[in-house]
Amino acid sequence: MNGVERRKNVRRFSILATFSVLILIVFVISMNTGFSRLSPLEVFQTLFGMGTEKQELILFEFRLPRIVISMLVGAGLAVSGCIMQGISRNALADPSILGISHGAGVMVVLYLSFFPTHLDVPVLFLPILAFFGSSLAAALVFGLSYEKHEGLLPTRLVLTGVAVAAGLSALMTVLSLRLSRELYQFVAAWLTGSIWGATWDYVLALLPWIVVLFAFVYYKALVLDVLSFGKNVATGLGASVSKEQVKLLAAAVGLASACVSVSGGIGFVGLIGPHLARRIIGPNHKYLLPASALAGALLLLTADTIGRTILQPSEIHAGIVVAIIGAPYFLYLLARSNH
Amino acid sequence: MIVTENLDIAYDQMVIVKQLNIEIPSHKITALVGANGSGKSTILKTMARLLKPKSGHVLLDGKAIHQLRTKEVAKQLAILPQNPTAPEGMTVTDLVTYGRFPHQRGFGSLTKQDKEVIEWAIEATGMKEFAHRPVDQLSGGQRQRAWIAMALAQETPILFLDEPTTFLDMAHQLEVLNLLEELHEKERRTIVMVVHDLNHASRYAHHMIAIKKGTVVKAGTPMEVMQPHIIEEVFGIQCDIIRDPRTGLPLCLPYALSRSKKEQVHHIG
Repeated sequence: MNGVERRKNVRRFSILATFSVLILIVFVISMNTGFSRLSPLEVFQTLFGMGTEKQELILFEFRLPRIVISMLVGAGLAVSGCIMQGISRNALADPSILGISHGAGVMVVLYLSFFPTHLDVPVLFLPILAFFGSSLAAALVFGLSYEKHEGLLPTRLVLTGVAVAAGLSALMTVLSLRLSRELYQFVAAWLTGSIWGATWDYVLALLPWIVVLFAFVYYKALVLDVLSFGKNVATGLGASVSKEQVKLLAAAVGLASACVSVSGGIGFVGLIGPHLARRIIGPNHKYLLPASALAGALLLLTADTIGRTILQPSEIHAGIVVAIIGAPYFLYLLARSNH
Repeated sequence: MIVTENLDIAYDQMVIVKQLNIEIPSHKITALVGANGSGKSTILKTMARLLKPKSGHVLLDGKAIHQLRTKEVAKQLAILPQNPTAPEGMTVTDLVTYGRFPHQRGFGSLTKQDKEVIEWAIEATGMKEFAHRPVDQLSGGQRQRAWIAMALAQETPILFLDEPTTFLDMAHQLEVLNLLEELHEKERRTIVMVVHDLNHASRYAHHMIAIKKGTVVKAGTPMEVMQPHIIEEVFGIQCDIIRDPRTGLPLCLPYALSRSKKEQVHHIG
């Protein structure tokens, strides 16, 4: 038995390593490409402090923060989706499908419509604001899908989520109509999911949330495993199901809000990231959580790089690129979940 | 020992069980029997603290089970609910490992004792050759044994099972019931199960509780419970009770619906 366990661990480790290497490769490619092209050599020279001032500006002030943000947002959304899928036992649960991202969006737009110059927004304050909005949406969606004797109802959860998401994005559009053109464009960009907060300030605003919440969730990996057996088995094993669900859901909502406050409502990352990870590494959250984070980071970094480069000089929002991949995958999941 | 005291159980406003007082004898196999919708499964779940009663208590060794810490209860009592499902791709060994959850803290690394118990549970249920197979790829009987192994790994003196043989063919039913009988004989565990087949209950249980509309019609040994007038009241059928030529235990041979049932059926038809 120990031999099998050891082989399994080697396999898991190499999967995580492979993801990391892939991220590194896309990272280097992403550093090289963009509006003004830099050769790999120039990139390395600049990274080690031997580039021109212009090269330094491009890499350190524009490209690098954006890359870091994409990775953080991708990882955060994927882990958030992973938690939601675990506690609801529904492979279709993810912060954007459940309307939780939209709750954050409405809050951000409300704030911007009262304090219209979004350049002055205190960035550290945004995730908290977003968290407030998405918590309201999450409370609504999960509250409506909870049955006293059955626990969370997986199908009703997704149906309620879709309805709430549709309502909230309509609300955002209505709110944005009375804003300035600039803000209207911001809202439109938000809804499709663009990585707009791409400066070091936003990295600093986002990083602590992701680190702290991921650490908390990772500590709860075993509880997540047990919860994914459903309410009855989990209770029988001695888990305080409702309490743990609320704690983990709060962490998932926190992760999603922090991400969404700098990236807009990027869909599908929280759906595909964990699903892909689960297929490769299995259902054990001790490995599934880090694998989801890496898959999400890889996915969004790749999508943003493609979006940034494919139609130069104009940009396609990362959210759109992800959706182009994500929509068919979502349909595939739906078709598969029928049997 | 498990005792219920004036237990009332309700789903929302609908009262399922009223003023229930039953005793589960220790170190015996107890079978809860009754028609569909009689509340037997609800009673089992409430005794295992999966459901909260409207009023009354379930006492586990004299303490109210719904007030105890759920993790402490999980060291005393394991329950296998109806149709449990494991996440896709989870292997039998992984599944059984989660049986150690109540004994683990925080991050959950396994001690030597944990590993021994897991290995023992897999062996005791005859799952050794399937230990590294995904649970979702097993046959119904194998899957049920894997779940029983998980419950065994909890190392509890009490084991509850909600219809452990439903959806299994005859051979797999016997396989599961023989395993339970063996566990009782070797380990003296208290086993409580909901079963549909009266003859299985009679053959494997030492104590039977016949339930109708949430109340006990008769509790006692199979000999005491398996009587034509009791069966008629509980299930609405007329039957002969004969002796099993092998074991001498009572067997139920139904031959007709009760008169009142018949009229109901005619009204519907």
